[in-house]
Amino acid sequence: MSEAPTGKSLGLLVCLQCRATVRALQVAYPRCPRCYAHLFHRKPHSLAATAALLVCAAILYIPANLLPVMYTRTIFDDEQDTIMSGVLVLLHSSWPIAVLVFIASIVVPLLKIISLAVVVFSTWRRSPRYRTQRSELFRMVEFIGRWSMLDVYAITLLVALVQIRSLAFVSVGWGALAFAAVVVLTTFAARTFDERLLWESPP
Amino acid sequence: MSSVIVCPSCDLAHRVGMSPATGTRCSRCRAPLQRPENGNIDTAIALAVCALVLFFLSNAYPLVTIQVNGTTRATTLLGAASELYTQGHAGLACLVLITTMVGPFLQISGLLYLLVPLRRAREAPGQNTIFRLLAQVRVWTFVEVFMLGVLVALVRLSAYARVVPGVALWACALLMLTLAALTSRTTPGQFWRWVDGGRG
Repeated sequence: MSEAPTGKSLGLLVCLQCRATVRALQVAYPRCPRCYAHLFHRKPHSLAATAALLVCAAILYIPANLLPVMYTRTIFDDEQDTIMSGVLVLLHSSWPIAVLVFIASIVVPLLKIISLAVVVFSTWRRSPRYRTQRSELFRMVEFIGRWSMLDVYAITLLVALVQIRSLAFVSVGWGALAFAAVVVLTTFAARTFDERLLWESPP
Repeated sequence: MSSVIVCPSCDLAHRVGMSPATGTRCSRCRAPLQRPENGNIDTAIALAVCALVLFFLSNAYPLVTIQVNGTTRATTLLGAASELYTQGHAGLACLVLITTMVGPFLQISGLLYLLVPLRRAREAPGQNTIFRLLAQVRVWTFVEVFMLGVLVALVRLSAYARVVPGVALWACALLMLTLAALTSRTTPGQFWRWVDGGRG
């Protein structure tokens, strides 16, 4: 298995943008002859950058869930909603939508942070186990991560619509910003990770 | 030409034939490696034009109208983002605008800019760089998520108010489908095949 010919061992570079396979040249910063993207054997500082972004995302995940994302002021009372209390409100009107929001806003970001942490840590350890599964896990996480923005969009629309001054008034809370930051940071974390590192043989 | 391709996900070198009839996957990491890339450029252009029209419709008209006690209120996408801005959340407003307006618009107009000359075997100025940047923009286009987010908001509001979906909401739903079709027909492999075909 360790004898499998790789781009690195054959002196071939693959362009991550246009997927062209080109012969590696002995220059400092090679670029793709077809689309002019930078070419690397491995993305520079991949593990460190991904880990740093991931730590930031994990820290922000706490205020994202604890701080209110939305304030509702009606003539009767004032309310504040966190992501979770929003899910509970939805549970009264439509449980499938509530389940959907729960998965998209709470389960997906947490799974994404944990999965990326597992992938980064095991890659750093150069663990040879379950490589195909970890590789597939990474690609799945990259694909579903965007769905966490669901609640941010829902809040945006609620804020814009419920501005009937005499009756009800909705404003955004800082939790929504923290939440959006988690999505953006994990998206960047997934993009800075170089999957090919996962396949490097142990030293 | 070169019959060796390297998997972008795990760096394994593969010896391959030129055009597979079905999609192939990497034998080691199972990442998609090649697709049957023989799509018609006219289809892609038609989809892009369609997406552009839907894009303008989904931004020009209100997404949703609500009615409570005789008061009506409607909002467009831009109006929703500007409300976030007035409440002091400029960052959030930018993020919403980038992922739902700027991203899709750049993607659609950029593809049209590249594909229309390409159809006549010409090269738009800056073609290669622009296509590379479009691949980055694609990551930040969240129209399908936005669509679902709007539905969640509607469900939450329906308990308190009469909710009327606007023209833009239907346009947005169609835009979501059109963009998905367009994206799957303008993969990098497909695009470069059109470029190389035009030269050859």
